[in-house]
Amino acid sequence: MEMDSLSNGNNTTATASTPATVSPDSSAATARATPTPPPSSTGPQLTEALKLEHQFLRVPFEHYKKTIRANHRAVEKEVSAVISGVTDAASADFSPDDAVNHLNSLVSRLQGLKRKLEEGSRAENLQAQKCRARLDHLESADGENLSEWNSTRLKRILVDYMLRMSYYDTAVKLAECSNIQDLVDIDVFQEAKKVIEALQNKDVAPALAWCADNKSRLKKSKSKLEFQLRLQEFIELVRAENNMRAITYARKYLAPWGATHMKELQRVLATLAFKRDTECATYKVLFEAKQWDFLVDQFKQEFCKLYGMTMEPLLNIYLQAGLSALKTPYCYKDDCTKEDPLSQEAFRTIAMPLPYSKQHHSKLVCYITKELMDTENPPQVLPNGYVYSTKALEEMAKKNDGRITCPRTGSEYNYTELVKAYIS
Amino acid sequence: MELSTIKDAFDRVTKKQKLSSAKTQEMLDQIRQEIESALDKMQSANNSDPEHNYKAVLNELKANLLKIAPLSQMEGTQKELNVALSKYGKLLEKYFNPDISKAYRNIDVDIHTLNQIIANHFYRQELFDIGDHFVSVVGEPESASTMKAPFLEMYQILEAIKNQNLEPALNWASMNSDKLAQSGSDIVLKLHSMQFVKILQNGTRDEALHYARTHLSPFASSHMAEIQKLMACLLWTGKLDRSPYHALLSGSNWDKLAEDLKREFCNLLGQSYNSPLSVTVAAGVQVLPPLLKFMNVMAGKKQEWQTMNQLPVPVELDREFQFHSIFVCPVSKEQATEDNPPMLMSCGHVLCKQSILKMSKNHTKMFKCPYCPFDIDAVQCRQLYF
Repeated sequence: MEMDSLSNGNNTTATASTPATVSPDSSAATARATPTPPPSSTGPQLTEALKLEHQFLRVPFEHYKKTIRANHRAVEKEVSAVISGVTDAASADFSPDDAVNHLNSLVSRLQGLKRKLEEGSRAENLQAQKCRARLDHLESADGENLSEWNSTRLKRILVDYMLRMSYYDTAVKLAECSNIQDLVDIDVFQEAKKVIEALQNKDVAPALAWCADNKSRLKKSKSKLEFQLRLQEFIELVRAENNMRAITYARKYLAPWGATHMKELQRVLATLAFKRDTECATYKVLFEAKQWDFLVDQFKQEFCKLYGMTMEPLLNIYLQAGLSALKTPYCYKDDCTKEDPLSQEAFRTIAMPLPYSKQHHSKLVCYITKELMDTENPPQVLPNGYVYSTKALEEMAKKNDGRITCPRTGSEYNYTELVKAYIS
Repeated sequence: MELSTIKDAFDRVTKKQKLSSAKTQEMLDQIRQEIESALDKMQSANNSDPEHNYKAVLNELKANLLKIAPLSQMEGTQKELNVALSKYGKLLEKYFNPDISKAYRNIDVDIHTLNQIIANHFYRQELFDIGDHFVSVVGEPESASTMKAPFLEMYQILEAIKNQNLEPALNWASMNSDKLAQSGSDIVLKLHSMQFVKILQNGTRDEALHYARTHLSPFASSHMAEIQKLMACLLWTGKLDRSPYHALLSGSNWDKLAEDLKREFCNLLGQSYNSPLSVTVAAGVQVLPPLLKFMNVMAGKKQEWQTMNQLPVPVELDREFQFHSIFVCPVSKEQATEDNPPMLMSCGHVLCKQSILKMSKNHTKMFKCPYCPFDIDAVQCRQLYF
């Protein structure tokens, strides 16, 4: 397959009309309605469509890895504690009773760990199942059920949008009604929900806890989210005129970031000199409530990055691409067919700043039948320059004694006056 | 690479995970056993020199635990698991496109417009509860969801048809008879025909005849053949299943009628048959792969891309997405526009105006058609309107 054009079956047989179309004695009206579009069932096109689903597989996988990591850390910690407990008992001067008690406490600690581990194992298995369910779902897409699979995909995309915009309830409802709970990441976003809601209530604690949980990965991606959260806490202390505490706080939590983010640190520290109602622009902005919104955005970005999700909702990505693919100058005309999404005002608005589609081969659609005009159904030219398909013109002529009327200008001609056009 | 390869890789991951879990449990059990046996020893050695023995038991326990080395054993299986996890992750990145937002332009989308589109989509797809919930959550006014009322009506009519009740549909048809006649649709005839067949099955011949006289006769001139067929069915009132027209009783006719009605209903509403959101997203799915490939190859052009007026790669969408005629001049490879329309040459081939101007040196000389050896006079070329 060449890189620059994705060819499709251009002949009408590839997209065979379903029985629902034109009946032999139909009027022009039903002929006008387009056939129910059969989904693209060509192999390579389907493969390409599946390759867009990285996020679909990666998110539950990241979640799975995270659970495994967390469980392992817990085990390591407890086992180390137990072993050093034994070592301590061996070297210390315990009385016999104390030693027995000590060892018993270690045993119950181990039992507690074992229970926790079983729980953790169950969680891991559930998540592994989820990963596998998604792999199965991708495999299940084939020519037979493609329109349903596509419809599910749109629902998944909409749930993703709802979750990103924090419309959690709608997401849950949509997932439930279509039974796609395994195929969407509501549980992962619940984690984000806590942090976001706290931030919206000016509480950085859950966010900081999240940063601690994901410390190594955030460090690898050189994230400064933790720094920004700490800065905000500092600013809040200054706002409350708790300057002494602010300075202590800065010494403990902000100083470590000084090496890499000195400028920003200096700027924020300077707020100590100004007060919360300062009019100085540089510092006024730091005290604004908008800063919290900024933190929410930053968190969302880091969160998406960590889980291998795109920064933008999937809906926006697919919508933008689709609109561009459909956008032609003809879409904005008044007589644009209603079947074209770009005949709708809302879609036109969103598509305004987007690029037009590009095609390398002519594709001609008959104004009357909406069918393709190709070698099997060649275009014919009326004396007034308007072009229609042979099928449409033949049928018109048959019903009207060889006379045809141009539907757009009303001019009448004889079928014999038509000229064939040859378009590659 | 196929999905089966990826599935196998994931199976390896779960296998390693189970091994790791098992090893951890094993270690925990061993540690506990050691401690418990130490406790037993302590209890039994209660009588003879307790102090000295306790110390010895504890030291023995410490030594045993060191020998088992639970931490390093668990680390071993954990490492294997990590290798499998990493392999799987790399496989995902290799087979799938890790970042499909590469072609995304950072343009602000008016959130109200988008919410409107989403709400209307829900109503179109018969998800009325979810549509309502969404509208209330995002705080759009009721008026924004223009699609709710009409589609509610449509689905009510369709539901009735599913139960072979044509009343709502016939009411709708009579209320909109003018518009339907104007659009040249024959849905009204189809509805009445179906009702007629229903009466034939369940009612008397007189009822059927009366119905035909009232509702089918207006169509006699335009749909002669259809009407004749239906009239003939009168002979088999009540036993249509044994007539040559038994196909009229097939259940699939009801499905087809529902589909036709949906089509006409949407048409009258000035709406498309398919949800525009579905169509757009489906088109997006087709155009993204080549677009992303272009982005990957032309990494440097990212800045240019943000301001391009046209997609940089041509994409042939499926037939169902072709709503307009696009003429591409075979000579210049440019798409025809209002300023550069397609022109028909006397040989029957078509070029765009600018190509003809160029080839004829501004209408000054004759030129040969690039496809056939015809001599073309630029002045005689006619503009085409697709």
